[in-house]
Amino acid sequence: MKGPHAFPFGLLALALLGGCATTSPETRRTLDEAHAELLAIRTDPAVRLSAEKDLARAEESLGRAERFSSYLGSEEDVLHYAYLSRRYGQIAREHGAQRQAAERVAQLEKERDRLQLALSEARLLNAEQQGQWLEEQLLGQAATETERGLVMTLGDVLFDSGQVELRSAATRTVLQVARFLRLNQRRVVRIEGYTDTQGDDRLNLELSRGRAQSVRDMLVDLGVDGKRIQVAGYGEAYPVAENASNQGRARNRRVEIVFSDEEGKLGAGR
Amino acid sequence: MNSARFSVALLFLVVAGCASDPAPHEQLRLSEQALVQARAVGADAEQTELALAQGKFEQVGAALAAGHHKQARMLAEQAELDARLAEAQLLTRKSNKQVSEVEQQIGVLRQQLGEL
Repeated sequence: MKGPHAFPFGLLALALLGGCATTSPETRRTLDEAHAELLAIRTDPAVRLSAEKDLARAEESLGRAERFSSYLGSEEDVLHYAYLSRRYGQIAREHGAQRQAAERVAQLEKERDRLQLALSEARLLNAEQQGQWLEEQLLGQAATETERGLVMTLGDVLFDSGQVELRSAATRTVLQVARFLRLNQRRVVRIEGYTDTQGDDRLNLELSRGRAQSVRDMLVDLGVDGKRIQVAGYGEAYPVAENASNQGRARNRRVEIVFSDEEGKLGAGR
Repeated sequence: MNSARFSVALLFLVVAGCASDPAPHEQLRLSEQALVQARAVGADAEQTELALAQGKFEQVGAALAAGHHKQARMLAEQAELDARLAEAQLLTRKSNKQVSEVEQQIGVLRQQLGEL
């Protein structure tokens, strides 16, 4: 066993004693490249989240390569550990890409389900109305004329408490708006979110804006040009009822859709 | 005198111990496992990384037979990571395919909604 290895290890021992750096320029370059590559992979947040272990191993291997590079006659080891380091880094990158793809799939599946629901609702609506969509229907049913223009209110029940995502019950209403906008191409809207006075001011502001944004996202999903939709979040401001009672607060938690006139002229935001 | 002889003997043992790399049986097992797993998710020699892994894994046997244990270990370690990378690349490809499938479904739904 000892025979063939005695010689190189004698050399290694000598190098250990000498302790001088003797890396060839090519090997140095390989090491530098490995460092640069690892640095690039490290900056990818998806990699950091999903492949910490491989990243740590990449680092460890590179450290080993660096240590070997200061010993004489260890070129082979340096290149070997640099190779392993690159591989660990590449594996980490793949894991990061997988995580990103998985997140994207989850997000897309949600959108797909929403569209599927919207489609079945739309078919229902179509059957009911035989393709006849009257502006008066929207005006009469759900919207009221105010000094700010035509305003449609989406109530609190269409959102889960504290959440920005629309409940499926909202689909029908939003679908009506989408169809209305499709038939009235010049009209634009501003979607405004409001909350009650409970909870943190800043969070309420974010929540109100997030909810308005959800409605906008859904309209865009349903084919309305995003340029026709403005979004605003007003948080606790502009209550429509007193905040002292449950009922009043429920009325204040709402999303309003403000329609422009037929020429596309929309009143200024609040 | 006695202790000096003992030290020399110890030194000899340490040097001898270092000099003889053990045969990398455990590493060989890991490498084989990585290859099996990569093939199980569908990797084949069409993929550069898997071909590399296979090639290196085959060379391990010859290195071992010649008593080059260190070389055998290095080959086996590289083969393991080559195989793991091949597997990871394949899984990424599958995930990306899934993304485009759902995107396609969404496209169809959008079109259907637009036609109503």
